[in-house]
Amino acid sequence: MHQSVKKSLVFASVLALGTTAIAGCTKKADVNNNAVVGITQEPGIFDPHTVVAAGDEEIIFNVYEGLMKFDYEGNLNPCLATDVEISADASVYTFTIREGVKFHDGSDFDANDVVYSLKRAAGLLETQDGTALVSELDSITDVQVTSDGRVEVTLEAGNSELLSFFTVGIIPEGYDNCQKAPVGTGPFKFESYTPGQSVILIKNDNYWQKGLPYLDKVTFKVCADMDAGLTELANGSIDIFPYLSKDRADQLDPAKYNIESNGSNMVQIFALNNAVEPLNDVRVRQAINYAINRKDIISVTMDGAGVELATAMSPAMGSYYDTSLDGSFDQDIEKAKALMAEAGYENGFDITCTVPSSYLIHVNTAVELASELKAIGINMEIKQVDWATWLESVYAGRQYETTVIALTSSYAPYDVVGRYASTSDGNFINYSNPEVDELLKKIPLTADESERTELYHQVLAVLTEDACSAYIQDPTTITAVSTRLEGYHVYPMYVQDMSQVKLVEN
Amino acid sequence: MEQKKTKNRSPEASIFYTAGLIFLGIVVAAFIISLFWTPYSPDATDAASKLMAPCLEHPFGTDNFGRDVLSRVMSASKYTLLISGAGVGIALILGTITGVLAGYYGGIIDRGIMLFGNSIMCFPGILLALVAVAVFGPSVGNVIWALGLVFAPTFARVCRVGTMEIKELDYITHARIMGVKPLRIMALHVFPNLTSQLLPATVIGLANMTLFESGMSYLGLGVQPPDASFGKMLSDAQAYIRVAPWLVIFPALMLVFYILGLYFISEGLRVGLTKGGKR
Amino acid sequence: MKSKSGYIIGKIIELILTLLVVSLLVFIAFSVIPGDAARVMLGPNASDSQVELLRAELGLDKPLVSRYFSWLLGIFTFNPGVSYSYSIDVSELIAQRLPVTLGTSAIAMIMVIIVSYPLAILSARKPGRLGDQICSVIGHVLFAIPPYVASLLLILLASSVFSLLTVGNYVKPSDDFFGYIGCLLLPSFAIALPKIAMSFKFLRSSIIEQQSSDYVRTSKSHGLSDFKILIRHVLPNSNVSSITIISIIMSDILGGSLIVEQVFNLPGLGRLLLSAVQGRDFPLLSGIVFYIAFITVILYFISDIASSFADPRIRLK
Repeated sequence: MHQSVKKSLVFASVLALGTTAIAGCTKKADVNNNAVVGITQEPGIFDPHTVVAAGDEEIIFNVYEGLMKFDYEGNLNPCLATDVEISADASVYTFTIREGVKFHDGSDFDANDVVYSLKRAAGLLETQDGTALVSELDSITDVQVTSDGRVEVTLEAGNSELLSFFTVGIIPEGYDNCQKAPVGTGPFKFESYTPGQSVILIKNDNYWQKGLPYLDKVTFKVCADMDAGLTELANGSIDIFPYLSKDRADQLDPAKYNIESNGSNMVQIFALNNAVEPLNDVRVRQAINYAINRKDIISVTMDGAGVELATAMSPAMGSYYDTSLDGSFDQDIEKAKALMAEAGYENGFDITCTVPSSYLIHVNTAVELASELKAIGINMEIKQVDWATWLESVYAGRQYETTVIALTSSYAPYDVVGRYASTSDGNFINYSNPEVDELLKKIPLTADESERTELYHQVLAVLTEDACSAYIQDPTTITAVSTRLEGYHVYPMYVQDMSQVKLVEN
Repeated sequence: MEQKKTKNRSPEASIFYTAGLIFLGIVVAAFIISLFWTPYSPDATDAASKLMAPCLEHPFGTDNFGRDVLSRVMSASKYTLLISGAGVGIALILGTITGVLAGYYGGIIDRGIMLFGNSIMCFPGILLALVAVAVFGPSVGNVIWALGLVFAPTFARVCRVGTMEIKELDYITHARIMGVKPLRIMALHVFPNLTSQLLPATVIGLANMTLFESGMSYLGLGVQPPDASFGKMLSDAQAYIRVAPWLVIFPALMLVFYILGLYFISEGLRVGLTKGGKR
Repeated sequence: MKSKSGYIIGKIIELILTLLVVSLLVFIAFSVIPGDAARVMLGPNASDSQVELLRAELGLDKPLVSRYFSWLLGIFTFNPGVSYSYSIDVSELIAQRLPVTLGTSAIAMIMVIIVSYPLAILSARKPGRLGDQICSVIGHVLFAIPPYVASLLLILLASSVFSLLTVGNYVKPSDDFFGYIGCLLLPSFAIALPKIAMSFKFLRSSIIEQQSSDYVRTSKSHGLSDFKILIRHVLPNSNVSSITIISIIMSDILGGSLIVEQVFNLPGLGRLLLSAVQGRDFPLLSGIVFYIAFITVILYFISDIASSFADPRIRLK
């Protein structure tokens, strides 16, 4: 049936086409030492301290470097620092600065650049009003060069969770034009940005890691959406395309593309606004958790490429994640119905799910959820809004009932759970539990690693018990990489590291 | 104007009517049946049977959620008919009122109304509708209002010109001299005489509105998921165009049937009127 | 001649009034859009104080009326401001994208003219014959296919039969002019299809009407060949309606291009428009919408003036 339908359509179309010839746009064979990366988000901000969008961060990862740097396994390594010393109460961090590093503009990198950059990020420069550009670094009260040439960072209170934020980019002392002309120490120099089309980076010949990078030029090309990028990939006008869904990736020619994947360390959440009826009832939230089939959702949205989640943290976080929580909410319709009846909603209720229209995976998840929730009488209407409205009314305004979104995170576990403090700006689900607040206050003051891990486990246990929302999956990041390239690694965070990528030698 | 209304249909007109009614009938039948029965629930997902090619259980295949395409096509016809019908209704009401007023009174009222109408018509229609829906948020209601507003000037023009002609007729002048209130004249004497001009405009309006609606749904600004509409089904299908062409073909066919049916009927009306008039 | 210049002056006043109403519509529409541009630019992790800072920087905290007048001044001097999301002059952004949208529209328009004129002339010579009827039926069917559906079918056809991939490979005209034209052929064709049908239908009936008129019959009796009559008398006289029709078609093509660009992933105004809506980028959004309306107003204006030259009777209306 499928075949015959296809044929008859082709026949009709040939008629319609008449005598007009089709001109294909053939792409010339590319033998240059460069690579094109497809991106679906419009780049916007290139200043390492004001950058917020993940799509910008993954580009400038190649331009700026911090004292510390993540690798693709999620390890935090020294970078522009060679060593770090943390005081016992975790209130003073002292960094030893790497020597022999040059900025893209040719000037030498030294401790004064670090002081300037960290102060700028923390809002401590005299020209600033004290508001931290990087809000996580707000607790820094002073940055100084010590007598032995090291850099000493003083915090207002002990915080053992801050090290991963010293990945913030270092720029030359006094430099304030990063938005228009980014200057860093990274493996690639910023060449140009054409809005709506591309960002071009070129090789930093003076890069401090000898032999790197391999490529002469990297182009980040803007594609309207995943499907547009996919077509360009098939055309050969893009070499690397991240964040593919598995069914799309499967359509690619394996002779031309390698498929790389890694956990994304994202937490896709079916967020339930704890402040609105009937979601303020823990039994209703639990019922929703029991009613949904995470495996089916992953099958429909990611073609199976995702890890089921029962709590607020991805298993990719290693020891901070509590494996005993696995499977806490395996589908159990009877139990869900019983909980609904207990809460007084045996006939179900109507509810709205507000999703950002630009994220197909979340819209699709909502569609699948709506279908599954019908089983326990919940009639969920889906309201698509654009990203701006979502940020304004759902995330910042908290005017919504339910939503689907993925929470990105760095490898800092405090970033993952910190938002559940009742006073947190990021607590858009309006969750409030004094027990969690107490635990979250304790964590940064705890220097002992295993003690801290235990506290994280306790937080996760309470969040799961309260069914503060329904957690769905950690979607796998799938990236297609042209077989002419090698050395590409999928990071478990928003990073496109091009420094290791090189042409395959024949 | 009156003589043109003849019962004599030319054979050409009959062919158009028949073809139009057949095409339109397919879509309307799908709609009526869908009110009582669809093979599956159009929104019911089934991860186990996604992207199935057309077969006995699913004559039109299934989509990427495992939903039955036949059921979705049937239920999508509901929105196409609803939006085009309600949108044309709004355009007709707004357009007739403003058009008749402009044509009857002339002068400054006429100029004001036509300036506003012309300003609206300066935007490519789809652009205005897109912006309106983007501003007020995508929903079926907003699409209907936006399209109603965009199409109103077209009807206003037709009514204005018609009213200007009719108002010069003797019996209207007579009625005016007799002191019949203007509103009464417009409602009882002018408006009924406009129907022969409004009918073809309405049929074409339905077709054009469907073009716009499906285009907006294609861009994600029309009917919202999980509800089915032809435009949204087509935009979702684009990703699977090579592996599951049936996702493109069936909604596209239904959409084209509906528009084609309307065009044929309007063509029948046109041929019937002109040929009938000549005889 | 006096009444002619009076007619033109009247049209110009109408043009200016229309543009003012258009600008008011555009501004009012965008002032009530929910969503804060500053928050969009900064993303979900931004703190409230960061957002406030940026709002002040963008002038979003000023009163509405003063924003309208400064915007109006800017837009009429072709300087609508700086895009929030791209931090670049709106006029520059639009200029970058214009080659795609105008190119697609122009190629589509050329296709409409070179296909519909000969077909209409041939069809109208012997109306009712088989060739004419086939053209008419195909015309009706094409008329009913929305441009984006035609695009999808063309993509399906191109990829499955000719193994051609025609999507997303935009070439700048400055890099390779023929490559640029090549990229735009398929999308232009998709937009042109229904308009070819429309133009064909109007031309055909207009020519048939003219042919039965007295002066054509007179010319025939004077022994002029059909072709000469067509070129010298029929076409010029049917031009009045074809100027009007063509200006309507142009405006439709421009609108159609906005959607079809999306299907073919071309970096044109349509994509810029959607991203501006999503980014709450007021200067950009209002700039695009206003200038598209501006182009359309000018098109209609030119067609009105051209019609008045082609047919002096129009002035009397």
